[in-house]
Amino acid sequence: MINVLIQGLALSGLYALLAVGFTMIFSVGRVLNLAYGVYIMLGGYMYYTAVQVLGLPKIGGFAFAIASGIAFGVLTYTILVRRLEDNPVAVEIATLILAVVMQSLIILIYRPVSKSMWPVVQGVFRYEGVFVTYNLLVAMVVSWVALAGLLLFVRYTRYGRAIQAVSMDRKGAVISGIDPRQMNLATWAISGALGALAGVFFATYTQLNPSMWVGPLIVAVAVVVVGGIGSIIGSLIVAHIIGFMETFTTALIAAELRGVFTMILIIVVLVVAPKGLFGRSEL
Amino acid sequence: MKRQSMALLEIENLEAFYGRARSLHGIGLEVEAGSIVGIIGPNGAGKSTLLDSILGLTKAKGDIRFDGTSIVGLPSTKIVRMGIGYAPERGHLFPFMGVRDNLLVGAHTVPKDAEKNLATVYGLFPALKSRERQETGTQSGGERQMVSLGRALMSRPRLLIVDEPTIGLAPKICGDIASALRRMNQELGMTILLTEQNVNFAMHLANDIHVLETGEIRLSGSAGELRDDPQLREAYFGN
Repeated sequence: MINVLIQGLALSGLYALLAVGFTMIFSVGRVLNLAYGVYIMLGGYMYYTAVQVLGLPKIGGFAFAIASGIAFGVLTYTILVRRLEDNPVAVEIATLILAVVMQSLIILIYRPVSKSMWPVVQGVFRYEGVFVTYNLLVAMVVSWVALAGLLLFVRYTRYGRAIQAVSMDRKGAVISGIDPRQMNLATWAISGALGALAGVFFATYTQLNPSMWVGPLIVAVAVVVVGGIGSIIGSLIVAHIIGFMETFTTALIAAELRGVFTMILIIVVLVVAPKGLFGRSEL
Repeated sequence: MKRQSMALLEIENLEAFYGRARSLHGIGLEVEAGSIVGIIGPNGAGKSTLLDSILGLTKAKGDIRFDGTSIVGLPSTKIVRMGIGYAPERGHLFPFMGVRDNLLVGAHTVPKDAEKNLATVYGLFPALKSRERQETGTQSGGERQMVSLGRALMSRPRLLIVDEPTIGLAPKICGDIASALRRMNQELGMTILLTEQNVNFAMHLANDIHVLETGEIRLSGSAGELRDDPQLREAYFGN
């Protein structure tokens, strides 16, 4: 039982990191970025390419993954989203198409087969019947450090406050001399970086394959829908609800059903509390 | 040849549009440096649209010059950086941020002066200092108005534009707001352009008054002149 709890905690930390980049874009730009899963996939494939194909050290793998996440986030915003800014539905359609296009590109380059990734850290932690891979523990710690850093940045720096301001009242931000487009661009870059970082660990937790962007996207959507919020703390709470739910489902019922319950949760919350459990959409 | 004018803000033949509908029809007015100018008029006259146009927040045609430079068509953020502060209708505060963070956002363009300007704002509105951490979404209308004025002040603008500072406020609070505005004008040397439905408040505070109705200026003059104007008395004072 303790084992399940620790597994749940570690997975939840990873999910929180997965989701927070998505919720940030939602709260600042008021759009759902359905290409978000691509940042995660890109993070995994770029790390794999750097470390397992090119033989670079792991730190180089992370740098490569995060840089490509940032680049892809910035490109998505400048080329696509900024032009469709006033139309959230168009943004959703366009980003979904982008995700499918990227899936095809990945298939073309890396073949449609799954690849396994070496864990970032080898070994298994064992203690009195508890066993968790070091890889998942490291993922959890990295997630928490990244999330804490993000929280401090948003709350206590000038640019962080400006990003929050745009998310809470666009006109109020503009008349304070803040350019919402600049803050949106920064948010997309941060989102790409967080997604790619999460992607490296997610790919080692599961596998690399061209449709791996779907699962994390559902988790991220679930966090926005269930939380009804773009708040970072709120994302953390909901990520833990989903993480524990999936771990318990896997341990007690069947591993195949774990994603199903997340989707059922999305539908239940949409029907029962359409504004989400916390009902606030600012960062 | 440079015009002999002391006006900090000059508006000429200004038209503003909401979609295709024109809501301002050729407005012209000047705001002298160091003065307080009031625009009065009923709801829907176009007061907020006029102020939004100065900040570049609506589609506008005509000319608006700030300190001699034309600002029509410039991005709002640039207009703010030139030295215009705005406390808009309904405040547009950041509801889930505390008072202090709301004010600090107002200093986005002048990060080095943030602490100094914060002290100035707290000096004008001591009530805000004791509620630094309170989220503005949970505050009373009067407190929110103080935060809104304070946020506009944080960039230490040369021209402060205020939209209906007393709307929905109790008379006692209106008095506090009036004295704060007067101190900003006299002690901080700020030029102020404000709109009001409360004619007495505007007359009391402003040097010059313009009456705006259905997108046009009907009447202009010094507060003293207009106080005795029979047309205005009939329309606004009902006696």
